[in-house]
Amino acid sequence: MRINGRIGALVAALAVTGVAAGAAAGAHRADPGITKTSIKIGGTFPLTGVASLYKTIPAAEKAYYDYVNAHGGVNGRKIDFEILDDAYDPSKTVPLVQQLVEKDKVFAVVGSLGTAPGLATWGYLNSKKVPQVLLATGDSYWGFCVKKACAGSPKPWTSGWQPDYPGEGKVYGRYIAANMPNAKIGVLYQNDAYGKNYYAGLRVGLGAKKENIVDAESYDVTNPSLTQQILALKSKGADVFVVFATPSPTITALVTAAKVGWSPTTFINNVSANRLFLLAAAANGANVDGVISTTYVASPTTQPDLPGMKLAKQIIDQYAPSLASSFAQGDTNIVYGLGVAWTFVHALQKAGRNPTRASLMKALHSLNTSKNPFVYPGIKLQTSENDNFPIEQEIMIRWSGGARGDWHPFGKLLSGVR
Amino acid sequence: MKPSAVGLATTVVAGAVLALLPFALSSYHQGLAAQVGVYFIAILGLNILTGYSGQISIGHGAFMAIGGYTTAIMSRDHRTNLILTMLMALAICFVLGLVVGLPALRLSGVYLALATFALAVSVPQLPLKFSTFLGGSNGVQSAETVTHRWLYGASWTAAAILFVLAWLLLRGRTGRAFRAIRDSEIAATSSGVRLPIYKTLAFGVSAAYAGVAGSLYVLGTNGFAQPNEFGVLLSLQILVGAAVAGLGSLWGVLAGAAFVGLLPTISKDVPLVGSAHGQDVVFGLIVVLVMLLLPQGFAGFLARLARLRAARPASDRP
Amino acid sequence: MATVETRPARLRRDLPQWLRALVRPVPLGLAAACVFLVVGSLLSNDFAQQTVAGLAQGTIFGSLALALVLIYRATEVINFAQGEMAMATTYVAYQLISWGLSYWEAFFATLVVAFVFGVVVQVVFIRPVQHTSVIAVVIVTVGLFILIDGLVTWKWGADLKFMPAPFGKTVYHVGGVAFAQQDLGTLLVSVLSVLLLWALFRFTKLGLAMRAAALRPASARLVGVRVDRMLAIGWGFAAVLGAVAGLMAEPAQYVLQPSLMQPILLYAFAAAVLGGLESPAGAVVGGIALGVFLNLVGQYVGFVTSELRLPFAFAVLLVVLLVKPAGLFGRARVRRV
Repeated sequence: MRINGRIGALVAALAVTGVAAGAAAGAHRADPGITKTSIKIGGTFPLTGVASLYKTIPAAEKAYYDYVNAHGGVNGRKIDFEILDDAYDPSKTVPLVQQLVEKDKVFAVVGSLGTAPGLATWGYLNSKKVPQVLLATGDSYWGFCVKKACAGSPKPWTSGWQPDYPGEGKVYGRYIAANMPNAKIGVLYQNDAYGKNYYAGLRVGLGAKKENIVDAESYDVTNPSLTQQILALKSKGADVFVVFATPSPTITALVTAAKVGWSPTTFINNVSANRLFLLAAAANGANVDGVISTTYVASPTTQPDLPGMKLAKQIIDQYAPSLASSFAQGDTNIVYGLGVAWTFVHALQKAGRNPTRASLMKALHSLNTSKNPFVYPGIKLQTSENDNFPIEQEIMIRWSGGARGDWHPFGKLLSGVR
Repeated sequence: MKPSAVGLATTVVAGAVLALLPFALSSYHQGLAAQVGVYFIAILGLNILTGYSGQISIGHGAFMAIGGYTTAIMSRDHRTNLILTMLMALAICFVLGLVVGLPALRLSGVYLALATFALAVSVPQLPLKFSTFLGGSNGVQSAETVTHRWLYGASWTAAAILFVLAWLLLRGRTGRAFRAIRDSEIAATSSGVRLPIYKTLAFGVSAAYAGVAGSLYVLGTNGFAQPNEFGVLLSLQILVGAAVAGLGSLWGVLAGAAFVGLLPTISKDVPLVGSAHGQDVVFGLIVVLVMLLLPQGFAGFLARLARLRAARPASDRP
Repeated sequence: MATVETRPARLRRDLPQWLRALVRPVPLGLAAACVFLVVGSLLSNDFAQQTVAGLAQGTIFGSLALALVLIYRATEVINFAQGEMAMATTYVAYQLISWGLSYWEAFFATLVVAFVFGVVVQVVFIRPVQHTSVIAVVIVTVGLFILIDGLVTWKWGADLKFMPAPFGKTVYHVGGVAFAQQDLGTLLVSVLSVLLLWALFRFTKLGLAMRAAALRPASARLVGVRVDRMLAIGWGFAAVLGAVAGLMAEPAQYVLQPSLMQPILLYAFAAAVLGGLESPAGAVVGGIALGVFLNLVGQYVGFVTSELRLPFAFAVLLVVLLVKPAGLFGRARVRRV
């Protein structure tokens, strides 16, 4: 009954050939979850618990699918998107994903959030040949394991969406090395793979200048405040402050720095660079002017006239009115959700009139489009079997305007972010 | 009343139902039933400690974590047979349980509860610190994974074996010593029960059960062990399960396990509270209500029923 | 066990409570620690800065720990829902502010709400199981933990909420050390509320009745104290203290979310046990000591990285318990589990 490692590898190898063969044969047999009029998909998200502030992402995705359905669906099929709450706990993700596959019979698992939940289920989903696509996490696994063995076997049924964390870390490293060669750098990072990946990327990007890192402090989600860490960074004389954290600790870090009378040049990572969070930090006394980050989605506040943002506003107002106020204030997680849903619909259209799981994967492995209206203008979604990250471009942004301010892009679009 | 006859009949019926169940269930439901088996083992273990020897532990999630990581790591690094890793989890947790039981000798009541709670909070932090060996937040993936049917068979077979062992242990001299300690340490000492030996033994046995449960728990998550799986809530759930079961009773354990293992899944499908938060509301409310209405747990409820029927006081213990 | 049961405590019991604390070696150790902190602070700005931050953090631990201790003294149970109750009342304050009240109006209104909340919880949920078993009460509080968390998330959602800063954003510099108005305010409010509560227990008739009901329920009943009512009021005051802790913890993190009090509750447990579950003064001192100690360890002991902070706190606690099973300030007492 057990699938041992070797058989698992064989299954995976067959799966790879299956992808190719299925696409070549045009695939006649219908996969679970898809009928003439509907296609059932699902995903797991932290609607509760420590990471619950990401819950606007699935809500926005649902709004986009509703919008597509109202306009006739994809080749006449309405998308039925099931959102399940795993509270960011992998032991909950596993039965929920099994429920999606075995009980609810979804066609694909789309957009699920979190690295550990993804790692807990990718073996299962790949062995069942169920697509696990457009994962909402920036770890490196999701893009490079189509053919390469990861955790024992290739994972051809898994794909990511956003640029990976080390790549983004490198962007900051290169920028600091080029523009602030004498900086004394202090780093605050979350003590898990997320924070460590960013930090590793930063060191690579800094190159020889990594000796300028005077101190790196980690924090744990059980730390009730960050004052100790920030005081330590300040006491080492750092004048550049790099924060690789999730949103809530980022806000705490920005305000705490001001509170202890420290005003370095601050970098924060994209995940936490939502305008709402910066406004909150500023309202509590943080000095947010000059904070630097990156983005790959368009902003509803600085670029309201983009066709994509007008469309986004229309969709949110009509299909997810509860998100309207945070959208108006620049919640880029909503734009993120729309962008992911757009990508799924796009891949589904590319996957043929009667999509199969295999043809969906083939479509996702050969993306090449700059039409996604929700990403930053000019960004192209591009994938291959060797590099399955659709987005590998970012633009740097800097905050100005204080407590009523906003992000402003600067420099040119950076490519090869990975 | 003849407890042994009733017990035997119940065992036979329960065993038959459990053996036939997989043929009636879909793979998804086999998974759920296997999970109930895992909770059964953990709650059984906690019941030996808390229900029989009277020592509170809010830290059994920690032993489950150790058992689970044992399985994942042995499989990852040495491709050890999974059943063998379960036995290793049992042995390791037994020893660690004895070690934890030693300081517990000096603590009692609420202090012991909090010290074990500290264990539940601290152990999941260790993989983050020692991330090369313990995998950090990315967890440890076992080399092998199992099907739901395998898991069902393994967890309920283990549950049956451990149940019989618990029954044998508790009906004899050791069980009497445990109960004597629970009822009065002073009286137990004066009648010749050696406190240090029996109290640490209870901890060791109980931890060993939790270790096996943890091992199966990780196999249930596709062989993936990760710190978030072993949060404080897991320890609390096992405690809730033991209380619902009725402390000091072996027969209520099934009810406790079903309660903890199935309620979140069932309450998810209640239309009014279908949302994630509604689920918490329902779970919390039912925990509170059960304790208010059945303070002796399910076993106490059964005993009360039996009392009503027999119209005379009956023991609430097997 | 033997030491717990045989230690004679009669002598100390005859002394007033605060005097009782002074005749023990523990206060001497604490005095030495204070001297150490002052000398260290004079020698090093970093040390001083970490100490100040630790004090502010520690008073929050202390407030919640004191709430735990009050309830423990009254009902001999650890209230696992204490942190979530505090979190819920902080959301009440958030709601009041968003309805247009000023921060401080909302603050005091919330304390009233918290008091009622505490009383209701005791009467509805705790009283019916109070006499069954300790474990039943513990389970009920665990159930309340999950229930309150679910209700708050249901009502307000789990996304981040923001409240106005209560104390202004000014930072004072003394020597090389920054004192944030925020930290000083937190310290002041926490210490004031603890002192007020102490005065209430110490100098009012109500306080006397409550202490009697908690410590000698049978005798108290004989002299006409309405024990049940006193216990409920005790829960009310504990909830008020918890609310203060929540309202002071929010500005320390600058964000309000349902998980606000969960880490703080863990440290409050440690602080309460450290000080001795029987001792209100111990809880406050334990909280402050823990806050300062953890900051200094974080600064100067490289091995204790952020993920080990909590295990380390509990390890210290365990050592204290093994040396002094009743905590630093606790009295040894015979208790059957």
